[in-house]
Amino acid sequence: MRLIPRLLTLLALLAPCAAHAELKVVATLPDLAAIAREIGGPHVTVTALAPPSQDPHYVDPRPNLILPLNRADLLIVNGLELEVGWLPPLQVAARNGRIQTGGDGYFDASSVVRRLGVPQGKVDRAMGDIHPGGNPHFLLDPRAARPIVAALATRMGKLDPKQADRYRANAADFDRRLAAFADTQRARFAALPAARRRVVAYHASLIYLFDWLGLDEAETVEPRPGIAPTPAHVARVLSLMKKDGIRAVVQEAYYPKKTSETLARLAGGQVVVLPGGTPDGTAYLAHLEGIADALYAALAAPEAE
Amino acid sequence: MRRLLATPLLLVALGASPLSAAEPEDAPVELTPEELEALEAGLDADAASAPPPADAPPAPHTHAGPVGNSNPDISLILDTALAVFDGPPRQTGAHDPQATGFTLQQLEMHIAANVDPYFRLEANLVFAEFGVEVEEAYGTTLALPADLQLRAGQMLTRFGRINPTHPHAWSFVDQPLVNGKLFGGEGSRGLGVELSWLAPLPWFVELVGSATHATGACCARSFYGADDLGVESPADLLYTAAVKQFFALSREWSVAWGLSGQFGPNATGNGNRTEIYGTDLFIHFRPTHSPDRACVSLQIEALYRTRQTPGDRLEDFGGYGQLVWTIDPTWELGARHEYVAGVADDPLDPEWDADRQRSTVQATFYPSHFSRLRLQGSRAFGDAVTWSGMLALELLIGAHGAHSF
Repeated sequence: MRLIPRLLTLLALLAPCAAHAELKVVATLPDLAAIAREIGGPHVTVTALAPPSQDPHYVDPRPNLILPLNRADLLIVNGLELEVGWLPPLQVAARNGRIQTGGDGYFDASSVVRRLGVPQGKVDRAMGDIHPGGNPHFLLDPRAARPIVAALATRMGKLDPKQADRYRANAADFDRRLAAFADTQRARFAALPAARRRVVAYHASLIYLFDWLGLDEAETVEPRPGIAPTPAHVARVLSLMKKDGIRAVVQEAYYPKKTSETLARLAGGQVVVLPGGTPDGTAYLAHLEGIADALYAALAAPEAE
Repeated sequence: MRRLLATPLLLVALGASPLSAAEPEDAPVELTPEELEALEAGLDADAASAPPPADAPPAPHTHAGPVGNSNPDISLILDTALAVFDGPPRQTGAHDPQATGFTLQQLEMHIAANVDPYFRLEANLVFAEFGVEVEEAYGTTLALPADLQLRAGQMLTRFGRINPTHPHAWSFVDQPLVNGKLFGGEGSRGLGVELSWLAPLPWFVELVGSATHATGACCARSFYGADDLGVESPADLLYTAAVKQFFALSREWSVAWGLSGQFGPNATGNGNRTEIYGTDLFIHFRPTHSPDRACVSLQIEALYRTRQTPGDRLEDFGGYGQLVWTIDPTWELGARHEYVAGVADDPLDPEWDADRQRSTVQATFYPSHFSRLRLQGSRAFGDAVTWSGMLALELLIGAHGAHSF
């Protein structure tokens, strides 16, 4: 008959766990979700809206995405108009005051990042898809992630004060790993000869990556951001690649590959296809490491001839 | 400056109103200038010591200047077309090309912004050749409790799939015949209020109910239509109800299914009513690994209408099915078939006594996301055969809000 008191004790011990409400975080992009998981650990549930394989500019605003937004305590967005084509109607339809723009449950990662590619002067659509606030693809640089991690940990602590210390500690640890990783890779690429550190990108989405790794973007395959490659422009890119011995064309998996492959073949180089976002079940740093390794392998490869 | 503004405000707020003057015992105690000054000083001090915005980003080092401004998103969309008909056009949409020659389908100005943390305002002003129309202007709540959302103002009702959308979101140059016949050239639209609720279920279920004016030949023709008979009781309003469900079968397959109903008075006599019922199905396939952003969608809507008329009851139905294939960001192909029943002795459409069908194909070229050129051909048949061809150009400038799925 001593079983019952024991069971009761067990229940009493379990009760606080069951009663503890997890912080519900929704991130627009898989990279942001991966970062939030590093900070939150087991104390948060994190949902990413965009699949890693999809171009974050063009995600379908499927109504099932409204459900996690409706229940979210915190919405993390990339910002700089990256999600402008699909997030706003979902945010309105979510009927959740906490995650509306400007609220405590709305975190715009771009607000704490050092921005690159901020257009000077008037922005005109004839220039292509220009983001007036600057290039939004900063999540490809672990150094850009550092201020995001710090600010996000503060915000999560504010929404969930009981776990604030844990979030801060996790963030500090993650920040150390980000900094060390960024430095190691930067030094690794710096050891390459300068001529090998010139690359061609498909879309102007890699400038933060190149800035981190000390690479020089000689040209983009698209003549202007978001405008499909034209024969005249591609011919110009090819002659530049041949003249300067540029042998890598870098692009995300969600862009068309034919033009890049042709260019790389004719220039005696190769295409480096990067995964779009952190794949499901992969950590943010592992994702960036895969990118750095693929790039390094292509740039350090011996001459094709 | 602050002090100058604050004093009259305080006086207005605390001063005697005509009402309270009539009841001396309720009149607020007259404040001395010293007391007013003390209150103002308190207000000023509070304003000065207000906490800085929470979570202010760290002091910027090399941050670019702020992008944001508080202007609403403003966009202008031009839809213009060249059409050729070899018989009577018999188009039902107000934005459709209606005759051989050039048409200004519309110049739509869309303006939208959040008002405050509680409301969003959206307006669609449509400029036609001879005037401007407030097609839509409504507020939407952002933070109502219990997963409720309210819209109020002039708006397209959320009956079915195509009705709540605008011409530039359509996959064809013209509106389905059935929408024009049952709702009117501009679709079902009116001045009123709508309440919707997101059900707390594992899949997306939204319940929508709205009450709008039943008048307007453009937008409630099966109801009071062109006859403005006024609103004397709740029975004079047009009620729309809808259930919208969405099933994400996988990351690639989506199915949306809706049921809609509309109930209101019609103009044929005292107490006569019209009811419209509809169902809509949308199946969408988009391979998430496709670098071309290719997708295929099938959309089907079917509507049924019943009207009480003096000594009679008129019933008809119609619908359309359309298949659209987005090949890549620049090319799209579409095919649509429509069927609309005719009714003998229909007071609204006396010449539409036989069933009509129409088959349409289109090919669209998108030079960018902001421009499109659409070539469309169709054959209408049933009571008479009409071939038609259309070439439509759409141009969009400014910041235009994203569309719902």
